[in-house]
Amino acid sequence: MLYRTAGQFKTSYKADQALFPVRQDAILLGVILAFAWVIFPFTASEFAFQTMLIPVLIYALAALGLNILTGYAGQLSLGTGAFMGVGAYACYKMVTLFPWMNPVVAILLSGFFSAGVGVAFGIPSLRIKGFYLAIATLAAQFFLTWLFEKWAWLYNYNASGAIQVPNIQMFGIYVTGPQADSIVQYFLVLGIVTVMTLLCINLTRGTLGRTWKATRDMDIAAELIGINLMTSKLTAFAISSYVVGVAGALYVFMWKGAAEPNVFYIQLSFQVLFIAIIGGLGSILGNFLGAILIVGLPVVLNLVPGALGIPISSAMVEHLNTMIIGALIVFFLIVEPHGLARLWALIREKLIIWPFPH
Amino acid sequence: MNHFTKLVAAAVLAGATGGAAVAQELFVPNLAYRTGPFAATGIPIMNGQADYFTMLNQRDGGIGGVPVNAEECETGYSTEKGVECYEKLKGEALVTQPWSTGITLQVLPKTNVDEIPIYGPGYGFSPMADGTTFKWAYNTPSGYWDAADMIVQYIEGQEGDLEGKKFAFLHLDHPFGKEPLPVLEQLAEEKGFELVPIPVGLNEMQNQSAQWLQIRRERPDYVIMWGWGAMNAGAITEAVKTKFPMENFIGVWWAGHDADLNLVGEEGAGYKSISWSFPNMDAPVMQDIKEYVVDEGLSQTNPEEMEGVFYGRGVVISAILGEAIRVAQDEYDTAEITPAQLRWGFENLDFSEERIAELGLDGMVPPFQTSCENHTGHSGGWMLEWDGEQFVKASDLLRPNVESYSDLIDSSAAEYAESNAPWPNNEECAATN
Repeated sequence: MLYRTAGQFKTSYKADQALFPVRQDAILLGVILAFAWVIFPFTASEFAFQTMLIPVLIYALAALGLNILTGYAGQLSLGTGAFMGVGAYACYKMVTLFPWMNPVVAILLSGFFSAGVGVAFGIPSLRIKGFYLAIATLAAQFFLTWLFEKWAWLYNYNASGAIQVPNIQMFGIYVTGPQADSIVQYFLVLGIVTVMTLLCINLTRGTLGRTWKATRDMDIAAELIGINLMTSKLTAFAISSYVVGVAGALYVFMWKGAAEPNVFYIQLSFQVLFIAIIGGLGSILGNFLGAILIVGLPVVLNLVPGALGIPISSAMVEHLNTMIIGALIVFFLIVEPHGLARLWALIREKLIIWPFPH
Repeated sequence: MNHFTKLVAAAVLAGATGGAAVAQELFVPNLAYRTGPFAATGIPIMNGQADYFTMLNQRDGGIGGVPVNAEECETGYSTEKGVECYEKLKGEALVTQPWSTGITLQVLPKTNVDEIPIYGPGYGFSPMADGTTFKWAYNTPSGYWDAADMIVQYIEGQEGDLEGKKFAFLHLDHPFGKEPLPVLEQLAEEKGFELVPIPVGLNEMQNQSAQWLQIRRERPDYVIMWGWGAMNAGAITEAVKTKFPMENFIGVWWAGHDADLNLVGEEGAGYKSISWSFPNMDAPVMQDIKEYVVDEGLSQTNPEEMEGVFYGRGVVISAILGEAIRVAQDEYDTAEITPAQLRWGFENLDFSEERIAELGLDGMVPPFQTSCENHTGHSGGWMLEWDGEQFVKASDLLRPNVESYSDLIDSSAAEYAESNAPWPNNEECAATN
């Protein structure tokens, strides 16, 4: 009833190929965007910005980058954390070497560095597949984090070995560093994430996306129908690493404010991979759903006992939290092995025929 | 749409908790880590800290008549959780106790904006000693650079001339482990010893065979260790296995945990650790904690843990914080102080011998004083030695030669301020200098 598609006739190819051929989808997206752009920013507290809104968006973007590579092009990667690190360190070097540079430009440019590194480590994918490729990307993960520790030039020979984000202004407003307001950072992150998401949706719907999907489903067949596997795989590595690199730069510049090399260890790669898998491989929406479950939900759960006035120690809350999140992950994967995005797709299909299932 | 309702619920919840009114209490939250890879060392410290305040609440009804609320926010030593806790607590907290170098580095630049003092006893960023630059940060009673200097002093006292000696510096490859390097390098140049830094990666903490192979090859006269968590037990067992002379093995204060040495027992005898705290079970404060807290069943500790170095250190840490609150209360003549007033309290601490005795901390902490420009106090410390069963004092009170690296403190602090520009200096303090 709510989701009835009857009567929505497509009278042109353009209408048929629209991003959202069903009107309700477009309305729903409009509502979501209104929440993200208007309602959240003016109602959220500093705490909500710093622990939920900003990190969920950044993790979702990182998962989106990984999803292009793993979900669309079928190349498993365990090096996401390190590629995020490349973006973050590149951005740090740029803003410290060229202090006049606009920080948003620096963040967008830093993606190109991780894209370059991603392509270099993607070359083995031309020969190896599956778990073997995962091991090759694992090598990238270990090598790059080792480099972040040993190459002192990267962190400007700082005695602590950590990178600290300087205060940078844009149009007279602080956008990075401790002086920046959360709401400013939120809008910047949201802007970049919105644009990137739109770009990725369109990329995955176009020629490139179809090439990737063909490569993913059966690379020999793809080759036989004339797809150049090298271009297909390497573009996937490049674009994925670009998005991941931008997410890494945002992660440090718009959220954390400082980072030691161990931030980019394999745990981060796994976390992003979990978001992508639980959200749904080969989907865009899934990354956001996954990030909310893995990044946002623990924060909310932490607040529940306090809000209800249940007197348990904070260490206990943490233990319970780990168990609940773990159980939820198992639950969602049993209910829908293809991730939260697929779960939503099923719900949507049921809604379309509701209340008269045939 | 379900995830958006969740987010809205989150925002509402956050708003509700953020707006909760503060009751009559002194809210000094602690970013504790009773879970995660460092929990073994965290738990005794957190217990000591919590028990001291519980004791004050039970015995005196708090400080200045207002009970202390030393709530814990669990971080598991993770920087992300730490920042989450900081954001959650900053509206009401009088002080931030970040408990990890990573969290300190995140929170430190925000102090000038949020105006809440950071209290990082014996850890954090060594240049925090410079109160003119770091208006809101305190690493009383002693910093890492003091520790490095005292360790070298102690070795000099044992060996005489250090010319031509070789020291291996086994450290965690992390901001914490790299902290003392500038001072050690400077001392090596002055005194003519050779310094061999040997880093231990975060993921090789438990298996240090490569590092100890290098130590065997280098044949250093001493091994100085900046270790934490699982790294200490790893290094100590490896030292025993490779038959390194334990009396020539010296750790920083975070590498002096009883449980790590209990693993090797007798074979670890001779191992040393510099420390600005000492567990004195006969001190009145420990007796009071036993009487008012432990016997009442209000503590999570056990008798064995209570005798350890880390529990005693937790007590000392809370005692310093409590004293800062009291000093601030006296100065501003109000029981319910603000973070800014607590900052003043930290800056005017006077732990004289008499005051230490009044607080019942006899022999547990060396005397020290803080001031507007000196936020560390440079208390000095004792060299503790493991006798096979427990740590005992192996030296008189050592005092760091702060003058020898005060230039380094100034230049590092200035560098930090420059890279975080605009960074406000404490003008009042600069004026009185």
